[in-house]
Amino acid sequence: MTFETVLQSIFTSLFLASVIRISTPIIFPALGSLVSIKAGASNKALEGLMLVGAFTGVMVSAFTGSVWLAVLSGIAVAIVISAILGIFHLYLGTNLFIGSLAVNMMCSGGTTFLMYIITGDKGNTGNLASLSVPNVHIPFIKDIPFLGEVLSGHPVFTYLAFFLTFVVYIFLYRTSYGVRLRAVGENPDAATSLGINVKRVRMTAIIISGMLSSLGGMNLSMAYLQMFARDMTAGRGWIGLASVSLGGRKPLGTLLAAVLFGFSDAIANQLGSLEIPAQLVTMIPYATTIIALVAYAIQQRQAILSRMKKFQEEQPEELTEKPAVSK
Amino acid sequence: MRPLIDLVNIDKVYDNGVIANNGVNFSVKKGEIHALVGENGAGKSTLMKILYGMEKPTDGEVWVNGEQKHFNSSIDAIAATIGMVHQNFMLVPSFTVAENVVLGDEPRKNGLIDREQVLKITKDLSEQFGLFVKPDAIVDSINVGMRQRVEILKTLYRQAEILILDEPTAVLTPQETDDLFKAIRILVNQGKTVIFITHKLREVKEISDRVTVMRHSKVIGTLDTKDVTREQMANMMVGREVFLDIKKPKIRRGGKRMSVKNLSFVSEIGRKLLSNVNFNLYSGEILGIAGVEGNGQTELVEILTGLKPAAGGTVLVGDCNILKSTPREIRLRKIAHIPEDRLTNGVAVRSTIEENLIVDRYFRKPIKKGLFIDSKVVKAKCKDLIKKFSILTPNGKLPVSSLSGGNMQKVVVAREFSSEPEVLIASQPTRGIDVGSTEFIREQLVEIRSRGTAILLVSADLSEVMSVSDRVVALYEGEITGVFPDASKVSEKELGLYMLGVKQQTYEEMEKYL
Amino acid sequence: MKNFFKSKGFREFLRVLIALAIGLTFGFIITLFVSETPIEAYKSFLLGPLTRLNRIGDWLEDSLTLVLVGLAMCIVFTAGQWYVGAEGQMILGSLVSGVVVLFVPLPPALRITLAFVVAAIVGFLWAVIPAYLKAYLNASELITSLMLNTIAIKAFEYFLKYYIMPEGSRTMTSARVPVELQLPTFIPDLPFLSSIREIWMKQTSVSIIVYIAIAAVIAAYLLLYKTPFGYELRTVGSNKKFARYGGISINRTVLLAMTVSGIFAGIAGTHLTLAIHNRLIVGMSSGMGFEGVNIATLAQLNPLLVPIASLLYGYMRAGAEVMERTTDVSRELVMVIQAVILLLVTAERLMPTIQQRIADRTEENNNNNGKIKGGTNDV
Repeated sequence: MTFETVLQSIFTSLFLASVIRISTPIIFPALGSLVSIKAGASNKALEGLMLVGAFTGVMVSAFTGSVWLAVLSGIAVAIVISAILGIFHLYLGTNLFIGSLAVNMMCSGGTTFLMYIITGDKGNTGNLASLSVPNVHIPFIKDIPFLGEVLSGHPVFTYLAFFLTFVVYIFLYRTSYGVRLRAVGENPDAATSLGINVKRVRMTAIIISGMLSSLGGMNLSMAYLQMFARDMTAGRGWIGLASVSLGGRKPLGTLLAAVLFGFSDAIANQLGSLEIPAQLVTMIPYATTIIALVAYAIQQRQAILSRMKKFQEEQPEELTEKPAVSK
Repeated sequence: MRPLIDLVNIDKVYDNGVIANNGVNFSVKKGEIHALVGENGAGKSTLMKILYGMEKPTDGEVWVNGEQKHFNSSIDAIAATIGMVHQNFMLVPSFTVAENVVLGDEPRKNGLIDREQVLKITKDLSEQFGLFVKPDAIVDSINVGMRQRVEILKTLYRQAEILILDEPTAVLTPQETDDLFKAIRILVNQGKTVIFITHKLREVKEISDRVTVMRHSKVIGTLDTKDVTREQMANMMVGREVFLDIKKPKIRRGGKRMSVKNLSFVSEIGRKLLSNVNFNLYSGEILGIAGVEGNGQTELVEILTGLKPAAGGTVLVGDCNILKSTPREIRLRKIAHIPEDRLTNGVAVRSTIEENLIVDRYFRKPIKKGLFIDSKVVKAKCKDLIKKFSILTPNGKLPVSSLSGGNMQKVVVAREFSSEPEVLIASQPTRGIDVGSTEFIREQLVEIRSRGTAILLVSADLSEVMSVSDRVVALYEGEITGVFPDASKVSEKELGLYMLGVKQQTYEEMEKYL
Repeated sequence: MKNFFKSKGFREFLRVLIALAIGLTFGFIITLFVSETPIEAYKSFLLGPLTRLNRIGDWLEDSLTLVLVGLAMCIVFTAGQWYVGAEGQMILGSLVSGVVVLFVPLPPALRITLAFVVAAIVGFLWAVIPAYLKAYLNASELITSLMLNTIAIKAFEYFLKYYIMPEGSRTMTSARVPVELQLPTFIPDLPFLSSIREIWMKQTSVSIIVYIAIAAVIAAYLLLYKTPFGYELRTVGSNKKFARYGGISINRTVLLAMTVSGIFAGIAGTHLTLAIHNRLIVGMSSGMGFEGVNIATLAQLNPLLVPIASLLYGYMRAGAEVMERTTDVSRELVMVIQAVILLLVTAERLMPTIQQRIADRTEENNNNNGKIKGGTNDV
């Protein structure tokens, strides 16, 4: 395959559809991270919570034959583990960063451990007959040329991810609970003085972020693939975290940032068919994250500087008499 | 018939053994303006925190409106129609005024917040009580006076009948204080009751009906305001005469140490915070900057000490422009800095006292020996400083967090003064500390003044600025509006006018005195 | 005497002990459910590393790596930076050590020394990007260092596959490091030690890294607590604004914190190549970077406690491996145990005493109130 062919393949509906699909497991933890950051308790155990969701979903679906029971179980387990993290941080004094890393370790080890016990395999659960969520074919839209292939036919989770972005927005900016959550994050003393229980709000935020992350995990094991593989999240939880910073800590921005990473991941896949070594190609999403973060930081800086300069120019300094001011 | 508020025999002992309230009896009649005075640490804030449900009393009873109450949190107090406006404003910076007013009890429509109602509620309340605010302004961008009004509106939104105001005038100009008092009278006319915590005795005389004086966790007495003088109140507060009479030897002004020319600064959002600031500092002289907080003093101090870059102008020390210098370079030029916020900048509370005392000299002899820090030297020198500056602590290896506010400030002062500076920039040096430490620090200022240090004193405490400084300038909205070569010859009222921009001297008039 | 039991040090020690006990008990309970021979399994976990000399050797070697990454993390965390790039620094250190040792024509002693030096330099330099981005753009060092970890690992694989792997090799490894270039054993070649030496050399490969690690611990301790640089690190970690106000250059301190830690991490990488694996192989760093975080946490960021923490932690890892080899319980159980221990150790409120409560209270009050407008800190 030549470079031109690769370039051409980017502008196909197949590629764009894959971007959407690949972004999904990043969007979920990104949204989760956003909610917890807004509450002032940045949950960094997203990797672990995703793994837990992915694992539980596979196991429950394989043994009960019900996809929806599996999804519910995945969410339930994530709630429990997030709650544990929340309790340790909010009520027992554990530093949230260290605690998150511990939870990540626990989930990574725990899921692999259990997988081995249940299936006898430490690599993946390929031998299990686990299920996946259905794909959604939207009537009318699916028949539109080009766009139809891009927008329709994705697994349910993908549509859920985009929908949840909107829900998170409404939640944070239009509901009482969300507004109070943001207040807690910005000025916990103010919130306390109004009778808002900071710890409880943060606990809820941590649990919500756990739930969202586990959906992301299930997306990996029940849509993207149809099995659980050891440490299958491969850093997506951290990229979700990065998306929040990149997206200016707002729902829409976070979504776009997550899609950007999905995009670079998809490009990496395309380039893999060229003669470029896989190792270099798979570096792309990670390098993109750094470059994007840097670009964002620089842009923020520039904006501030240019605003200052603008006012400087509009009102030139003059060392003249000033009339007595009565204001 | 019980009074509206009746606190009976309140004790409050903290876990660390500190006794904040000891057998306090405090009552407030409906419709009165009741002042609660005492110096820092007397226990008045704690008492009000108990009334507002933020703390639980160790012993005693709280009666509101004839019923005994057991508040578990402020929400219970709010339900009992008690509202409190704190010293540190409890506002969310990125929210609008209106959003802050209704936070915690937002009006709803169809499950979501009813934005129109939010604005309407704010407007209506604002008009009813004569508290002018801009409902959709972002709180981060409004001035201190308006922020305080937002805080009051918050309590009124929650139908507070009893308002507790904690040191409300600490951040206001004389004019804004008048406005506040007008608003308080409107509130009382509409049936509200106001409790007013302060240590400004003149205000007690001006606005209150009754006053309760506290000292060292006890109530010394409750009197009708008209029956007591300021001197009497002061005596009750400290048990001795409190006079703001700083003994200053005659000024012996020496050479120019620092020359500030055309200094300007623009904020991140484009607001001009300083323009055309000019003044000089002379050896052996204290130049005071009088101005209400928020008029550019903070930025001015940060620029002079290397913590912020200016937009334009020069600051000459010797013949060097220090405007782009780093804090390290500025300190090496023997310019010391007492920062206005000691907890943020002045000390590192988790570090030890010793570690806090050497931050400006750890890299030089005699503390640095070869590649290492000589801990014996550190110990000896710090012991010395602790003694010299009367820092109350058993040993220098304790964390600064174990010290009281006044002693923390003494650590700052000990460090800055012992560097034998040629220029000292002191910003709010006695804010929030006990009388003993305050006196000590002012004495020390006069002491280094006698030794030839040029001092810039920035203080929101007008009486402090006027009595400690030799020369005084007024700063309003980032501009110097007036200079007074002899601080003892200008009245507080006159200076106040300049501080508010009501009056302004021309540059020609000011030039020779700056 | 009473003061001793109330002292912070003793309380911390007790907390670690209790956390260990609870963690291990929890692990045992899980083993009961999971294994057909739980007692045997747990016995091999708890005692396994001591049963054979080669197992002891493995335990010690692993612990030595942990010491080095643990020290690296102590340095960055003391400065208050959430930098987790040790994994990348380490793997690149391994890479360049391997390259030097396999390809640079120098006598063995010089080659080995050069390997260490180059690894230290590479570890140092790899932190420059995240450090700069943090210092000048305030870009999250957590995210940049994580991303660079992955990039480093992939770069390692790339160079291994395309430049270092011998032709026709079926596995992704380099040629073996010849014996004379492996790190010599730590027992000196003295006559009265010769029998011990022989036994140790036959069963284990615990190398002179022991001395290097000891030197590193001392160096880290002196650096952090006795030098001006260490003072800067500690002060920046304590209160950044205060440090700046006092004249410390935050940028320089942040930069040096991350890069200096890279020296330790890079050397850890050399250890992996020249003693543990004796070759370059995919996945050789196996998450050691994050283990460094755990060690630093257990050691309360004190370099002098790092060796103990490492030995303890390493012992558990070794035990888990023995357990997996000899029974039906897989080693990942230890990750769960370690997580529980870490959570408990860091749960400061689990065992408060009056003194701790004071510290907590004043810290909480004082550290969070940066924005006091015209207020006082009244009682």
